[in-house]
Amino acid sequence: MTAVKVLKPPPASAGTTRRVLAGIRLTWLHLRTRRVPAGILALAACGGVLRAALYWHWTFAGLYARQQQIPLIIEAGAAAVIAVTAHSPFGETEQATGRWLPYLRLFAAVGMCGLAIALLQLGAAGESLNEGVLVLARNIIGITGIGLLCSLVTGGLLAWTLPMGYMAFCQYALFQAWTAPWTWPVRRPADRGAWICACAVFAAGLLLFTIVGPRTRLSDDS
Amino acid sequence: MSVMSVPLPRSARALWLEVKRNAVPYVLPLLAAVFYFDTLRTADGFPPVWTLRASVIPNHMLIEFSAFAGGLAAWAGSREGRRKTLDLVATMPRAAWARLGAALAGALCWLLLAFLAGVAVLYVQTALQATWGGPPLWPVLAGAAGVTVVTVIGFTCGVFFPGRFTAPLVAIGVLVPLQVGFREAVNVNVTASSGTTYALLSPISVPPPVETGVYYHVPPDVPIVQVMFMVGIAVALFGVLSLAPGLRQLASAGGRPLRVAAVTLVACGVAASWTAFALAGTARPDAVGGWQIPALHSAASDQPVPVTPDCTSGSAFQVCVHPAFSFYLDDVAAALDPVAAEIAGLPGAPAGAREVASMSGGQSVWSGISGNPPVFDFAAEHVGTTVGMFDGINSTMYIDSGIIPDAAAWREGFQQGLLDSFLIGPSQHSGFVPLDAAQQAVEDALLIAAGSQPQNPISQMGEKAFPETVAAVSAAARRFAALPASARHAWLAAHLAALRAGAITLAQLP
Repeated sequence: MTAVKVLKPPPASAGTTRRVLAGIRLTWLHLRTRRVPAGILALAACGGVLRAALYWHWTFAGLYARQQQIPLIIEAGAAAVIAVTAHSPFGETEQATGRWLPYLRLFAAVGMCGLAIALLQLGAAGESLNEGVLVLARNIIGITGIGLLCSLVTGGLLAWTLPMGYMAFCQYALFQAWTAPWTWPVRRPADRGAWICACAVFAAGLLLFTIVGPRTRLSDDS
Repeated sequence: MSVMSVPLPRSARALWLEVKRNAVPYVLPLLAAVFYFDTLRTADGFPPVWTLRASVIPNHMLIEFSAFAGGLAAWAGSREGRRKTLDLVATMPRAAWARLGAALAGALCWLLLAFLAGVAVLYVQTALQATWGGPPLWPVLAGAAGVTVVTVIGFTCGVFFPGRFTAPLVAIGVLVPLQVGFREAVNVNVTASSGTTYALLSPISVPPPVETGVYYHVPPDVPIVQVMFMVGIAVALFGVLSLAPGLRQLASAGGRPLRVAAVTLVACGVAASWTAFALAGTARPDAVGGWQIPALHSAASDQPVPVTPDCTSGSAFQVCVHPAFSFYLDDVAAALDPVAAEIAGLPGAPAGAREVASMSGGQSVWSGISGNPPVFDFAAEHVGTTVGMFDGINSTMYIDSGIIPDAAAWREGFQQGLLDSFLIGPSQHSGFVPLDAAQQAVEDALLIAAGSQPQNPISQMGEKAFPETVAAVSAAARRFAALPASARHAWLAAHLAALRAGAITLAQLP
């Protein structure tokens, strides 16, 4: 018996496969610790509420500000759900586990954001959503950015507070017909300034969230 | 032994701990910012009339507080489940209900304190500007009941579904029904007597007319059923906290009396809410534009509020308004004096103007000239062809009203209202009566002479406003306005009866 078989390096394809499998498992574990599967269910529930609101005409007809009220609340709720998935149960110790954590955070946030847009649009399919998918997508993108920024200060679990505050403020801005681009829910679908602001907030939130990560605290003392 | 060192009772100590550890204070700056932008700025856009200003408490404050109250209460309620300490705290010698009650009370204390602080800011601001009346308490009670029920709903959701998504989902979960209730409440107010009136249970509705609570008291019937409905839900849910299967075992420390108390609370809460629901279904419009519920209504609230009007004193043409609108007195007098001077001494010309209630006997009251000596009566809601005159001049108008603040147009509305009544003839309080071409030309001429710019006559002349007629009216008005004041006055004195009868044509105007 010789040691040739033992010393022989494994074939390249087997290593790649193992690495891919490990990557998938790592991603899945990351998503599970962030309760992403439950978050997807919560986003689906938001889509269901949006569908119910449109189907049973809970929204106001006529005035633009009134038409936007309930969809904006649901979109802010979806964004808040995404922000809450930022919380890690492991705290700071997780940051010493390797170099993949920022990529996983980026992937999770972008994926959830895209999924939220898709699920809410699915909820609105076949119904008359005021101003269509563009405003829906812009609101989710922008408010998710606010939520991710908030998670840097409050931690993931309370990251829903700032999106709720922004939503409450935008309800006022809708009625007062504000035109500032940073109140993007008020603006029309093709408004360039609103898109720039929403995307800038999302980009800033995503960048800082990816690099720095949400505020972590092992003891949930509030 | 000093006062500070006296040990607190056990329940007070538990409450104090919950108050200290609560998350609400961290969100207070955000809540304050939303309160400033939404509630305070909206109220600032309304005239300083107590009932109108107080309407922002349920219509704006409650919405912004609900988002945070529901979410933060769910956060507090889910604490034990989130931290997985249920087994640990089960060893406490007290019932789970008492423990949860302390946590709920801690969150509720902060939220109600913040709510009342907001109300105090709003009322102090109004008190500094209002010229009559006092702070209404029912909107505060309805708002506080709304915050309480949302907090209890959020807390209960947190206890039963502890998780990281509970708080944001509860936050939007309470806002959507509030908005749906608001939509239904608006429909009830629009359709008035037709249809069901259960939506009056929604504390959120459209702002009331500007003179609500000015000429007549606001009956507390609707706020009473709203408070009863919301408190009933809160009491029932508080009882449910103890009856849930998972908690029953933990509550065994309290034993049978505790469960009996919980069942009683649930029964009382359901009964109160159901009674309020049934009462709301019996609501009907009252004679002054509000709602009354026969089982709760007091006839005393239908009596007019005794009041001495505020009047101008320096001019021959005396203008009187309700003291609640004293801040408009000089503006109204400044608007009416020039046109009153143009028609002074003519038959049927008013010697003064006075504000009257906009609703009487269930009917709208429109402006007109009546009495001897003749007096021009106008209402806060209706002057001539315009509505909502006392909703504001320079203030930021509520955009739903569709009225654009414009001081010149506001002044001209009063002038046209006076001239409409004068040219149509006395005792016309029946609403919009279109002028004929000659009457319109004379009105425009008198407005020009008084220093105003006549508005588009199409709205004044109704169906008679053909383009060629409008052009002819404008030409005749300019011609008549160019006459000396004495010549205009003399012509009107001689031809006023024929003008009112519609027997004068444009060509006959000098």
